[in-house]
Amino acid sequence: MIDALAAEWLKLRTLRSTCVVLGVIGVVVALMALLAWYAVRLWEGLPPGQRDRLEVSSLPELANWLASLSLAVLGVLACSGEYATGMIRTTFTVLPSRGRVLAAKAGVVAVVAFCTGLAAVLATWAAGRLIIGDRVIRGQSAEALSRQMPLFLALSLSVAMFALLGLCLAVITRSAVAAIAALVAVWYVLPIIVNNVPAPWNERIGSVLPGALAGQLAGTGNPQSLGGELLSPLAALAVMVAWVAVPYALAAVLLARRDA
Amino acid sequence: MIEVRELTKRFGRTVAVDGLTFHVKPGRVTGFLGPNGAGKSTTMRVVLGLDRPSSGEALVGGRRYDRMRHPMREVGALLDAGAVQGGRTPLAHLSWMARANRIGRDRVVSMIEQVGLAGVARKRVAGFSLGMRQRLGIAAALLGDPAVLLLDEPVNGLDPDGVRWIRELLRGLAAEGRTVLLSSHLMSEMELTADHLVIIGRGRLIADTPMRELTAVRDVLVRSSRADDLAAALSAAGGTVAAEDGGGLSVRGLDPKEIGELAARHAIPLHEVTPRGASLEETYMRLTGGGAGR
Ligand SMILES: Nc1ncnc2c1ncn2[C@@H]1O[C@H](COP(=O)(O)OP(=O)(O)OP(=O)(O)O)[C@@H](O)[C@H]1O
Ligand SMILES: [Mg+2]
Repeated sequence: MIDALAAEWLKLRTLRSTCVVLGVIGVVVALMALLAWYAVRLWEGLPPGQRDRLEVSSLPELANWLASLSLAVLGVLACSGEYATGMIRTTFTVLPSRGRVLAAKAGVVAVVAFCTGLAAVLATWAAGRLIIGDRVIRGQSAEALSRQMPLFLALSLSVAMFALLGLCLAVITRSAVAAIAALVAVWYVLPIIVNNVPAPWNERIGSVLPGALAGQLAGTGNPQSLGGELLSPLAALAVMVAWVAVPYALAAVLLARRDA
Repeated sequence: MIEVRELTKRFGRTVAVDGLTFHVKPGRVTGFLGPNGAGKSTTMRVVLGLDRPSSGEALVGGRRYDRMRHPMREVGALLDAGAVQGGRTPLAHLSWMARANRIGRDRVVSMIEQVGLAGVARKRVAGFSLGMRQRLGIAAALLGDPAVLLLDEPVNGLDPDGVRWIRELLRGLAAEGRTVLLSSHLMSEMELTADHLVIIGRGRLIADTPMRELTAVRDVLVRSSRADDLAAALSAAGGTVAAEDGGGLSVRGLDPKEIGELAARHAIPLHEVTPRGASLEETYMRLTGGGAGR
């Protein structure tokens, strides 16, 4: 298993998409800093009485959303590229245990996604603090890092969840286009449908959708999302695990059964 | 040693391999021939555990490929040279394989040198020609110094130097006692490389024979200024003689020595005595019926 992990790590590191995605994350953080700077200019341009009318959505959460998107795509590309080129056969001649290959891919993708997600959120938070300073802008939490860390960790965990979901969908569909389409369906189309379901089911179903889980896990709720906030942190974690475990199991079974 | 036993592989309603049995023995190069769609690549994929057989089995050294812990150290394979992700360099491509099978890094570097890719070891594979990709694929196959090699059309896209290099490489590896299974559609090249042939058509075995039996001497071409006298003498001695278009005689049933002695006894001058074997191509065409596999 160590060999498989090391090999998949080397592969992911030398995949061109990885460099692109990490570059995109860098750009995202820079963009967030730019946004903070722009918010500060707006804020300072307003007369003091009207300043609390200005609201800017939470920059770390915005960064996290973009990071989730990028890393979900990376999760897809970590596997779909091998199917597109036929290299998946090379992979399975080098490492014939398919279960081990899937586990190694998942392990590597999860760690990279979690770390990158956390780095993006923390960098955005730090840049925001530096630029905003002690100005009070609505939507920008001025709380200490230690108080915000649970949310940041939950957000990073959800990045890993999306990346693994992408990976599993790529294994299941063997195509980047199909996997990304499925991902978009679960992530964006499903919430819209659920939102139109009569109450209280919209909230109930909404609370278990992947996009709603990080907030519930951190116990901060989902003030701006369509999802409900009915789950305890532990339940949210369980649902998060299920969003990975079920596609993973399906991917593992298909991988073992199908011809490579 | 590769053992294919009663192997059948279906894809939906297509029977790609149909009850195929043969052994590939060590110490010689075994050529794997058959028309397009005959099932060669499918057989190789089953041997490598990539495709699941519908029935029967394929073993390497008595074991299933997918049970091997470090398969590259036992079996080297080249199925499709194009199956490389273009963003990687040869160094990166071989490095992850080596890491997966606990093969040292020196081996990666020396293989890259051996296949002649040292100059482009750090260039992206995307810009490589087919021949360069074949070389990379061969480096991967040889990476673990395996005792068994399976190569699916490795000379495709290689330049004459490369073709010759592969021929000598494979013959050398077989001489060291390794098992080499090689598929190709280039008959003349196969004739020079292989010692033994397995020929299949429509997924079934057609022939499993030593090369020399397929290309054994067929007749002797004889030319003489007194062809008619010679023909009479040869016929009288028990040979079967037929006139050729170019004025020579095709003689069967007598070998060059007998023909020479006979001509001397009758004082008939000889201009040419050439034993002729069937080319592999001709024999192959005859065996496979000349057409495509399906
Ligand atoms: N994955 C697959 N799905 C469906 N049919 C397949 C698949 N792979 C091979 N076949 C079919 O199986 C048959 C054997 O194909 P195979 O590629 O093994 O032949 P081959 O001897 O390697 O041919 P070639 O000389 O052209 O490489 C063909 O009819 C092919 O269409
Ligand atoms: Mg083939």
